Amino acid sequence: MPVEILKEKFTGKVQEVVLGATKEEGGTRAYTVKLGGSSTLPFLQFEGEIPNRPVIALEIWDIKPDWHECFVPCYGDVWEDPVAWAKKAEEYGADIIYLRLRGADPELENSKTADDCAKLVKAVLENTGAPLIVEGPGFPDKDNEVLQAVAEAAAGENIALGVAEKDNYRSIAAACMMAKHCIIARSPLDINILKQLNLMVTEMGVPIEKIINDPLTGGLGYGIEYAYSVMERARWGALIGDKMMSLPLICLAGPEAWRAKEANAPNEEAGPGWGDQKVRGVMWEAMTAAALLQAGGDLVLMRHPEAAKLVKKQLEDLMVPNTY
Amino acid sequence: MGLTGLEIFKQLPKTNCGECGVPTCLAFAMALASGKATLSQCPYVSDAAREALESATAPPMRLVKVGAGDNVLEIGDEQVIFRHDKTFFHPTGIFIELDDTLSADEIAAKVDEISGFVVERVGEQYVIDGVAVKNASGNADSFKKAVEAVADRTNKVLALLTEDPAAMEAAASAVADRKPLLYAATADNYEKMVEVAKKIGAPLAVRGNDLNSLAELVDKVVGLGYKELVLDSGERQTSKVLADLTQMRRLSIKKRFRTFGYPTIAFTTEEDAVGEALQAQVYVSKFASIVVMKNASEPALLTLLTWRRNIYTDPQKPIAVQPGVYAIGDVTPDSPVYITTNFSLTYYTVATEVEATRLPSYLIAFDTDGLSVMTAWAGGKFVGEEIGPWLKDSDINEKVSHKKLIIPGGVAAIKGKLEDLSGWEVIVGPREASGITSFAKLRLGA
Amino acid sequence: MGFIMIGERINGMFKDIGEAVAKFDPKPIQDWAIKQTEKGAHYLDVNVGPTAEDRVKSMRWMCEVIQEVCDTPLCLDSTNYDAIEAGLEVCKKPALINSCPAERPKIERVFPMAKKYGAGIVALTMDKSGIPKSADMRVAFAMELVAAADEFGLSPEDLFIDPLILPCNVAQDHAPEVLETLRQIKNLSDPPPRTTLGLSNVSQNTLDRPLINRIYCVMAIVAGLDSAIMDVDDDALVDAIATADMLLNRAIYCDSYAKVFRQR
Repeated sequence: MPVEILKEKFTGKVQEVVLGATKEEGGTRAYTVKLGGSSTLPFLQFEGEIPNRPVIALEIWDIKPDWHECFVPCYGDVWEDPVAWAKKAEEYGADIIYLRLRGADPELENSKTADDCAKLVKAVLENTGAPLIVEGPGFPDKDNEVLQAVAEAAAGENIALGVAEKDNYRSIAAACMMAKHCIIARSPLDINILKQLNLMVTEMGVPIEKIINDPLTGGLGYGIEYAYSVMERARWGALIGDKMMSLPLICLAGPEAWRAKEANAPNEEAGPGWGDQKVRGVMWEAMTAAALLQAGGDLVLMRHPEAAKLVKKQLEDLMVPNTY
Repeated sequence: MGLTGLEIFKQLPKTNCGECGVPTCLAFAMALASGKATLSQCPYVSDAAREALESATAPPMRLVKVGAGDNVLEIGDEQVIFRHDKTFFHPTGIFIELDDTLSADEIAAKVDEISGFVVERVGEQYVIDGVAVKNASGNADSFKKAVEAVADRTNKVLALLTEDPAAMEAAASAVADRKPLLYAATADNYEKMVEVAKKIGAPLAVRGNDLNSLAELVDKVVGLGYKELVLDSGERQTSKVLADLTQMRRLSIKKRFRTFGYPTIAFTTEEDAVGEALQAQVYVSKFASIVVMKNASEPALLTLLTWRRNIYTDPQKPIAVQPGVYAIGDVTPDSPVYITTNFSLTYYTVATEVEATRLPSYLIAFDTDGLSVMTAWAGGKFVGEEIGPWLKDSDINEKVSHKKLIIPGGVAAIKGKLEDLSGWEVIVGPREASGITSFAKLRLGA
Repeated sequence: MGFIMIGERINGMFKDIGEAVAKFDPKPIQDWAIKQTEKGAHYLDVNVGPTAEDRVKSMRWMCEVIQEVCDTPLCLDSTNYDAIEAGLEVCKKPALINSCPAERPKIERVFPMAKKYGAGIVALTMDKSGIPKSADMRVAFAMELVAAADEFGLSPEDLFIDPLILPCNVAQDHAPEVLETLRQIKNLSDPPPRTTLGLSNVSQNTLDRPLINRIYCVMAIVAGLDSAIMDVDDDALVDAIATADMLLNRAIYCDSYAKVFRQR
């Protein structure tokens, strides 16, 4: 007697969100990227549809980053020129470019102005074809000012702007609405506040198909299992019809992984069994991303091109149909 | 959970004879389901019904032990699909495979590499659980020699990979006292493999070509009276293995499908160490009890074993970080010193905020057995009497040139006692971690 | 998976609907269809009422006019199975058949019809002799219905077993028996059948109907109630259900959980 395959009967699905706009859609992107849309648990195509493979964004900054020296061979020649850097990220196979406006940090000397940021975003858009995500410097007042300018400069391009948090979402949401961009709503490891935030953002008038959620994940070895369970619960909620838990999830695998001592420690300071930093750092990031994808990540933000390549290969393997 | 009324009813003769004392079989099934009757009241019940009823009280997935003595790997006996529903109990065993075609020296070197592999992080040691010897030569003698050589050189748990029952018998008998995992019984050899497994009392892996053929084979093996089993659907493609492992887990836990109520084994196919570790990560995350790999490469396995540690932590227990003094950023003797508890979530939240001040600082994770600040304070674990004496003798005294400690605002009340007992000046910080940035700006000039 | 609310209001027993059915005036029916949908109803009960002359014709007409204004699935409520079949023929989404008791001829009429149209069945724990008092008898009827579902190739989940609550002012002793029935129904099969109640019945002719409905509904949810034919316009009742759902950890908490509950 054949085994009776056990399939969950889900009524809901992950909301599909489109990033980017092509010429026909009023923008200039070479292609658009669809996030989410799954009506099943991660990679289980035997019980539902996974219309869109999870995607990879590569992280670039508007100023030279304070990253580990192992990034010099891949980005050392471009990271003082964000436009060149963005092009290089595309060459490395980024589905999406994720620009962090760290140079607009108001406490820096020569802090970049909203106008500088808007010009940069325009230049990046002019020189690349990938859909774009822009993250503000992380200071509420400056974020509002900068993201407002960026939203206007990128009108028509359907970029995503982040990040909105529970105490600072109104003006970002308004900027997104005005210029019809997507918004990234974040709540650090708190699924309850995330759900409430989604409701508040939709009640302001942001369409649900324009919201991406960032549960702020934590890296491998540093609390990632909390994120894993939060994300598994959110996906389950989405699949049983909880619309406010159904938004696609972005996971900051790169930034989280590279905070770990294990990723950065030079070989002479490494613990027993840690091995060579060059491989170790990349693997720490790739393993973080891979774990978060198993929990239901729809978009992973990666930092090292080698790690991104490894994850892309694994995504291909995981997207092989497994219907019975 | 017992059987449902419908399941029992389907097994009854449906003659409504009434000899059990209840007018209909349906009513009798209900009485059984609610424990108001016993099966022996029905004179016509089949053996199959009896067995189904009796096995309904057993755990959904069998616990299987591989190895002997001090080196036993316990696998199986899982109870949930999602770790947040309870916890995952028995961490996936990681085995490294070697071929019996290697020379004696090569075997020795590979075994030494495997047994010498120890990763240390946050006060814990991660090791490889077992060595899998593969009969790549197809020769029974070479296999036996290789297995003996490995067994002599390491006390790690062993797995013997051959489909030749004669080769298996010879090699397994030589290391019978180690109770190795015998891999594998297939449709062609299962009768003989079961004999070998019974003879030496070792667990037996059963391999099908898909879930259906696996189920058929398991039933045959169980029919021969052997239940120390580990299951392999035979699939090797990553997403299909994920599907099969998911089905086996779901059917055993949610449907109590006895045929799949055993631990599982998966094999990686990626050749390079990093790709292999990522592939293994899928199986560690989703339900494999054992993963057999080829490479024992340090950085790749460090990340895989860290992930295994993470996913097998009990979500119901507060997780603690190693108590101690942590440096955040490029600290100097002038750097400020914060203290919080060693409850992971508390610690990481505070650490993130301290990092965000961009002022290099020390953060003490004080040992509160993993309790949060307010709970530990209420429980007498985060109070002046505990922290004071510890702080007085702590190595933080050598690291900084000042004696100023920032405590969480919620426990301002411990200030006096703490100052008395430590000789440090106590600065009351913000109540919430989110206040640290502005605190550092205003009070520390960050 | 979350609680299923079946809006009770489109029933010819209510004066406005009864008149609308008599005059084939779609407006009141459509208004209630829209209103109940907005209030979060997952199904709309449709009952032509006692005064309709041609129940088959009226049922088909009501289904059609409702589906002109909303796509909420329908729960076809009639003792006339030809009327139900007429409704099923025009339903655009899988409907519920309301209802079928544990009587063999009716099972043989209704269950194959449910199979044919992909419909669920509100199945009553009673037979010709009426509603039993004890939980044991109610469960025995439920078991017969579950076994019949299996026999006719339906999943137990296609059944919404209704253990039949009676007004508490005349049959107070039934209330705990119904709760016990709900508990036991979940052990009948795997997957278990679903459960429902004609909730408003519990408070017939009592003084504070909303209070009794609300409290009994929450008690029943804890015992295993999955759905109810109910007044979805009673905000306090829906809030109570949303809260029970959340406290049973079936929905993720957020401050506005009751609002999100209505968006399912």
